[in-house]
Amino acid sequence: MRRVPTQRFVLGFASLAAMVLAYTVLSNAHLFRPEVVPPTQEIAVAFTELVVGARPPPVTEGDMHAGHHGHSSAHVGTLLQQGVTLQDSLAITAARVLFGLAAGVPLGVLLGVLMGWSRRADDYLHPLYVLLRSVPPLALITYVMLWLGHGEAHRLIPIVYAVAATMVIPAYHGVRDVLVTYVVAARSLGARRWLLVRKVLLPAAGPALLAGLRYAVAIAWMTAVGAEMLMSENGMGNLIVGGGLWASRTQTKADPAVVIVGIVTLAAAGWAMDALARSATARLTRWVR
Amino acid sequence: MTAPAPRLEAVDVGYTYPGATPTQALEKIGLQVHDNEFVALLGPVGCGKTTLLRIFAGFLEPTTGSVRCDGATVDGPSPQRGYVLQEDAIFPWMTVRENVEFGLLARGIDPAARGAVGGELIELIGLSRFEDAYPKELSAGMSKMVEVARVLATDPAILLLDEPFGALDAQTRARMQDELARLWERRRKTVLFVTHDAEEALYLADRMLVLSPRPGRVKADFRVDLPRPRSLETRFSPAFSALKRRIWETLS
Amino acid sequence: MPPKKDNFFSGPGIRTRTARALLSVGALAVVYGIASEIGRGRLPDRIWLGTHYVENVQLLPPYPSLAEETTFLLESGILTSSIAVSAGRVLLGLLLGGAFGILLGIATGRATRAEYLADPWVTFFRFTPALALLPLFVLWFGYGEGSKVLLIATSVAVVTILGAHQGVRSVPRVYLDAAAALGASPGLAFRKIVLPAALPHIFASLRIGLGLAWVTIVVAELIDARMPSLGYLLTLAGAYPRVPTMVVGIATIGALVLAFDLLALWVHARATRWMRRTA
Repeated sequence: MRRVPTQRFVLGFASLAAMVLAYTVLSNAHLFRPEVVPPTQEIAVAFTELVVGARPPPVTEGDMHAGHHGHSSAHVGTLLQQGVTLQDSLAITAARVLFGLAAGVPLGVLLGVLMGWSRRADDYLHPLYVLLRSVPPLALITYVMLWLGHGEAHRLIPIVYAVAATMVIPAYHGVRDVLVTYVVAARSLGARRWLLVRKVLLPAAGPALLAGLRYAVAIAWMTAVGAEMLMSENGMGNLIVGGGLWASRTQTKADPAVVIVGIVTLAAAGWAMDALARSATARLTRWVR
Repeated sequence: MTAPAPRLEAVDVGYTYPGATPTQALEKIGLQVHDNEFVALLGPVGCGKTTLLRIFAGFLEPTTGSVRCDGATVDGPSPQRGYVLQEDAIFPWMTVRENVEFGLLARGIDPAARGAVGGELIELIGLSRFEDAYPKELSAGMSKMVEVARVLATDPAILLLDEPFGALDAQTRARMQDELARLWERRRKTVLFVTHDAEEALYLADRMLVLSPRPGRVKADFRVDLPRPRSLETRFSPAFSALKRRIWETLS
Repeated sequence: MPPKKDNFFSGPGIRTRTARALLSVGALAVVYGIASEIGRGRLPDRIWLGTHYVENVQLLPPYPSLAEETTFLLESGILTSSIAVSAGRVLLGLLLGGAFGILLGIATGRATRAEYLADPWVTFFRFTPALALLPLFVLWFGYGEGSKVLLIATSVAVVTILGAHQGVRSVPRVYLDAAAALGASPGLAFRKIVLPAALPHIFASLRIGLGLAWVTIVVAELIDARMPSLGYLLTLAGAYPRVPTMVVGIATIGALVLAFDLLALWVHARATRWMRRTA
């Protein structure tokens, strides 16, 4: 039994390594154009360039084929000219994600708890919630922009909205399931309402809420990146599309090396945030069997 | 006349649950169940009764000793030994009929033959009205009877019942016991029945084995010579009370 | 407020609940109508778009202008063909991504080795916003249908892998034991026990995937943006900007998501009639 984690690690690592190796071999085999399938080493160079942020000396086509290890493209060039770095972009997107969570979670939980707590509120609010939830957050972005202007608010609102809509359901079900069993028991013991909320409702609805939170984190990243891809001049979404994908709708200037660097970074960041949420979950719900 | 070979036999069976703190559940259990005998295994909660039954069913391998069925060492589950679990194991996504016929389906028996056996058993447990219902419409007692019928459908030579009525209220329980007794008298089987209820064991069994608390060992072996068919009269007969007293004395 | 009369044991009947639902939706409609009338001429109609001003913007288009816009979009066939094209892409992506995800999820749920091999990749795609793959897909699979459908399929596959995996893993042990004791072969146990028991999880993940598919399509349809498609309709309306078109577009997408979700719920309920339901 004790050998299982080792096997997990070995097989997982082997599968990662195999895929990276296969990609390296394929991308270096001159089967594809490097602008379409960038060789692994160029992705690494693009990564370094984006982290260091310095403009490398211009490289000509000939030099590249001569085996010069440099990676440059219009995409990287534009980004570096704008002073964009990978870590800055990540920080900006993470800030948006955190804001979305900070504002959206209480909002969604509040609505969910209200609907779960009172049948009357549920009857009136649930239909409205279902209507609102049906609208994809990113579909709203242009309309919100008209109201709030071209600023930060219209990028944040879809994130807040997406997070809130995600959190309603776990809060609602958490409270409702708890209500039926525990609350009746607790009330019959004479617990006052505030005590009830604090000592019974929140702890008992906790696991559902925290599971919802983990999902909301993923949704927040997705919405943030989507919003940035659509209309933002900074953040990871902007880094990935190079600000140019929508400006010229018929042609993308995106450099796949940058996109891959961006995706790997996003996946790592999302994973790290989820790991945090998971350890918080484990800590806060130690009593769960 | 030589004694007939036992249908079920445990020889020096011991079982220790592995883990950070290994727990010895059974120690040197030896017992025999003969053909068409109804044997009850009585013991307090946590004495390893369920472990022993799972070993007989073929889901656990004993740490020491061996279990044999008809002389052959048990090496995995087999429909020859019908096993009714302690938990609710009725398949909720199948109707009563599909549940009862599942074992026959597993044997590859054709639908017509399955239907005949299934219908008969459903009638026997008095659930014809529910044959196309999903388990959610059944009471706990009915569900358990469906599980018993599901095992009977494959016509096993041996029945292993693990506290089948443990989760029921006293009245339903008594009714289910009558039902099981009636079923057993109609279709004689070799039965090993696990329970923590002395009265239930007495009412149903021909023989009773009392297990000691952890690690479980056979502490006493009673013959229950109450006349059959048993009824309400049996429960209040002096013989019943006398046996019950003896058991209580053994347990304390 | 809560228990006493207004709790879940002795709540009002379905008629009261329907009446309340209609009342609140009706109230929302009336409030919008009033707000748009009040707003007419009072809300700013000159909007700064970051680079330039646009004139004659109706921030809250009143009902007549929405009706007019809907009629125009319907009569010109723009709306209906856009719905057909976008919904078609969503369905195709859902089908492909769902099939792939469910199969892989079942495989990783059944075989621990497969799980270990797939684990890093599932984790990777789980935390990669599917939208970020868009530029890559465009480069690799071109501007056509392929990229859009594949992007949707990716976002659906990621959630269905997890759903199917969890579903297979959370099949209660007792059912498997009972089936084995009754002599079921591994194949039969898989078909008759594992699959039905995993079905609720799989359906739940498909429903989430459906929601994500609609989020994805709005962005995916900006690739090779051309009519008819709902995503491009929205962008075009945003570029002018033409608010009535925008509102009709948003409402249409919302209605489609709702309709798809209700359909999914209905199928789910039909397929899991055996499940105990509370309240």
